[in-house]
Amino acid sequence: MLDAFEILTTSGIVLWRRSYAPVPSSVVNSLVGDVFIEDRRPKDAQGQQQTSYKKDKYTLKWTSAKDLGVVFVAVYQSLLHLSWVDNLLTAVKALFTKDYGIELKKAHVTKLNTQPFDATFDALVRKLDTGSTRRQSEADSEGPIELTPPSSAASASEEAVDEPPPPPIPAPQFKKPAVSRKEQFEGTSTDATPVPTPDTSRPSTPASHILTAKSGPGKASRRSRKAQHTLTSAPASSGDESSAGRNKKTATKAKRRWDADGFAVEGEDEVLDYSAAADSQQEQGEREVDVEDVNASQMGSRTGKGQFVLKDLDDEVDAILASSKQQVKPDSTEGDAGLLGSATSRLTGLFRNVVGGKTLTKQDLIQPLQQMQNHLLEKNVAREAAARLCASVEADLLNQRTANFTSIDSTIRESMSKALTRILTPTSSLDLLRDVTTTISPPNPRPYVISIVGVNGVGKSTNLSKIAYFLLQNQFRVLVVAGDTFRSGAVEQLRVHVRNLSELSRREDVGKIELFEKGYGKDAATVARDAVTYATNTAGTEGNGMLFDVVLIDTAGRRHNDTRLMSSLTKFGQLANPDKIFMVGEALVGTDSVAQARNFAKEFVDTKGKLRNNGVGMDGFIISKCDTVGDMVGTLVSMVHATGIPVVFLGVGQHYGDLRGLNVGWAVDKLMK
Amino acid sequence: MATSSPWLTWAFSPTISAILVTLVISLLLPVLVHSYLYRKATAQALPAFLLIGPSGAGKTSLLTLFANGTPSPTHTSQETQTATCQLPSSALASTDRYRSVNDHTHDQPQLLLIDTPGHGKLRHHALASLTPATALKGLIFVVDSAAVSSAAGLTETAEYLHDVLLVLQKKHTQSRTSKGSQGIAVLVAVNKQDLFTSLPVGLVRQRLEEEVARVRLTRSKGLLVDSGVGLTDDGEADDESNWLGQYGSKEFKFGHMEEYGVEIEVVGGNVKGEGEEKGRVDGWWGWIGENL
Repeated sequence: MLDAFEILTTSGIVLWRRSYAPVPSSVVNSLVGDVFIEDRRPKDAQGQQQTSYKKDKYTLKWTSAKDLGVVFVAVYQSLLHLSWVDNLLTAVKALFTKDYGIELKKAHVTKLNTQPFDATFDALVRKLDTGSTRRQSEADSEGPIELTPPSSAASASEEAVDEPPPPPIPAPQFKKPAVSRKEQFEGTSTDATPVPTPDTSRPSTPASHILTAKSGPGKASRRSRKAQHTLTSAPASSGDESSAGRNKKTATKAKRRWDADGFAVEGEDEVLDYSAAADSQQEQGEREVDVEDVNASQMGSRTGKGQFVLKDLDDEVDAILASSKQQVKPDSTEGDAGLLGSATSRLTGLFRNVVGGKTLTKQDLIQPLQQMQNHLLEKNVAREAAARLCASVEADLLNQRTANFTSIDSTIRESMSKALTRILTPTSSLDLLRDVTTTISPPNPRPYVISIVGVNGVGKSTNLSKIAYFLLQNQFRVLVVAGDTFRSGAVEQLRVHVRNLSELSRREDVGKIELFEKGYGKDAATVARDAVTYATNTAGTEGNGMLFDVVLIDTAGRRHNDTRLMSSLTKFGQLANPDKIFMVGEALVGTDSVAQARNFAKEFVDTKGKLRNNGVGMDGFIISKCDTVGDMVGTLVSMVHATGIPVVFLGVGQHYGDLRGLNVGWAVDKLMK
Repeated sequence: MATSSPWLTWAFSPTISAILVTLVISLLLPVLVHSYLYRKATAQALPAFLLIGPSGAGKTSLLTLFANGTPSPTHTSQETQTATCQLPSSALASTDRYRSVNDHTHDQPQLLLIDTPGHGKLRHHALASLTPATALKGLIFVVDSAAVSSAAGLTETAEYLHDVLLVLQKKHTQSRTSKGSQGIAVLVAVNKQDLFTSLPVGLVRQRLEEEVARVRLTRSKGLLVDSGVGLTDDGEADDESNWLGQYGSKEFKFGHMEEYGVEIEVVGGNVKGEGEEKGRVDGWWGWIGENL
């Protein structure tokens, strides 16, 4: 069963929602954050982007109407396998945009009266819920007692029962007669029915039976027979389950009645509706039901009460679903409408291009986007990243209108620089000094550990010494650890750096720096751990009892596709447990940057096999040699795009001071130039 | 061509009718253009207030509450949202200061609220809408008073507040005309006062001031200034302009910002009440009224 369905705008306002069980708001929030804003959607085995998102125990599926800025989200438990949700999303999207599209297009809309949509949604769920809602774990034990899809059966019987399909009435109008009929029945019934609160579930079932008898004699009796049949034929063990099923039905009824009471006050209608829904949620939360039973009884009661599954709605939904399936195919059929036609359309197209106000179609976008992609490739953006950026721009602009006096090209440029800004802007800015200060200050001071990884020859040691210089300037005591125990001369290289830096710091009277080394051939992870202990525990010295504030660990360069070398990084990450892991990437490298970033990021898992830093792996990139590439700073984009890890520093020169933070605006300017 | 040539001939001919038509057109056209432009300009002259603040502080909820009277359920925003709202009768606009309380002939003034996304990646939307000379009357910085009690939440809020205030300060100091340096009023709306874990307004103010001072310090020391690879000649001059408030001062008080035309007020309230209770936002309305 669906847990919740929400319709929200891109500005975050929930226009309409229906929840069947309490779903924490953070679930949808994290969908918005991860998928829409950070564009970090999970990929399946084929590398295709999935259209579902898993969070905690929920699975979320969504679709969006870009031009209206509306997102449709369906939430259900991951244990269930609901194949009909896609159809539901498509149908809801089509119906909702049809009903409210015009209102949504107005400016300053923050609220819609979406109450009439309740009825439509109910009808939709009833039609599309194909009953495949069984728990996957129970599936094999229960065997194939799959319910026949109720959509056909239900709609058939409904056509017979409701002679003329009632018009699309707002819910209260419909509900009132139903309730009054039931009250009538309660007064005259021999059962002496008490008011059906959710607790007293028993009497309500006969009520619905008699109700069905009233509304349509022949058909309904068949339906009641069927309902009874399902009840009696259910195995004995499922007795309580079926009562639970009825229980649920009562809940919906109680809600109806309540709704009708509140009908008198226009403004309170909605509020009442929500709390009623919450009531029924609680009911449902407790139940563990055999789904077949629920479905059968629901169908019985629903159709029996003369529900309003409208025939035209039915047809409409079918049409929507059919067209959504067909849409995939006939994209390339148009095109050659004759020479003259194409000439005039091109002329008006040109005119529109200048004046603006043109609605962008896929064909308009293909060529400029191709140009844009080539432009990005020239800027050294990896093909994969460029293609994905262009795809996101296309999705952003498709069926949009260009503004007045803007050409397609400039619209695309604008959208692209927006996309680039979004990719490059970090979610939370890194303030290294602040982090260090809080870590080394009481109550529990410990040295701040930074380690640097990367491919051979990208400038790990150089950037390490640049960071060391920066930290020294801020009066920190720095311990440099020679973690490269492999390459000849690596330790000596660091020693030279440390000698230079200590000379500099002595002259400027800032900080202090030392080298920690164990020679060659040792295990880098152990050396790193020893260094951290050394920095921590030489107690009794002045200050906060630590010898050093910051530990900077250099590592051996390794090829990212060499699994033997890469796997030792995992151990390193766990033993040394650095606060920050930075990866150095060259600005010079091209397409390979994506693979480098990915392979390094995935090595840093903690002992539970989870990627550190909230499943990202590393904390930041240092892009070195930026001064050598001029405008071609595409590597920034490729690496961030591949992993979602922000760029924290840029190496921009040969001196110790040539380390910079990233200015997103500057980078985007260079890329778009 | 054949059909248009008589018309052209007539238009250039010295007949009375042609002259009359030309006269009418030449006289009416400026009037029409003026009325069109005039109408367009007046339509947008609503005083605007910008809602800004970290994600989850309650900006969109506040927007819906002000616009509709009841807060809608909301999720993380991805885009800006505007809404017009009317000042409630409980709040008094500064323009109506001398009007009698019993004078009901006058409508309460309308205003435009602009909601911005607070997610870290999307803050440039908000900062971008600050820089141009929009008719901003004020800025409402929404703070989640429950989140500020944790170190991480406090840091995030203070960093954002620091950035916003710095933009305002730069806008003030760098503007050449007197129009840009008019200054702007900032309301720190301490939201979610109804929560059990929330901090009282005075404490929030104090903590924010301390934290902004700390952010300012590390920012100035960080000085890994934004890259302009090889183009950073003006490093020294930037020092002062990137320092929020009085340069070199140890403490930061919101009052320091008045020098730059930024008047900051801290007012508590809550958008959502418990159960049936309504939110308490009168203080915020009052501030808006004062700054209209």
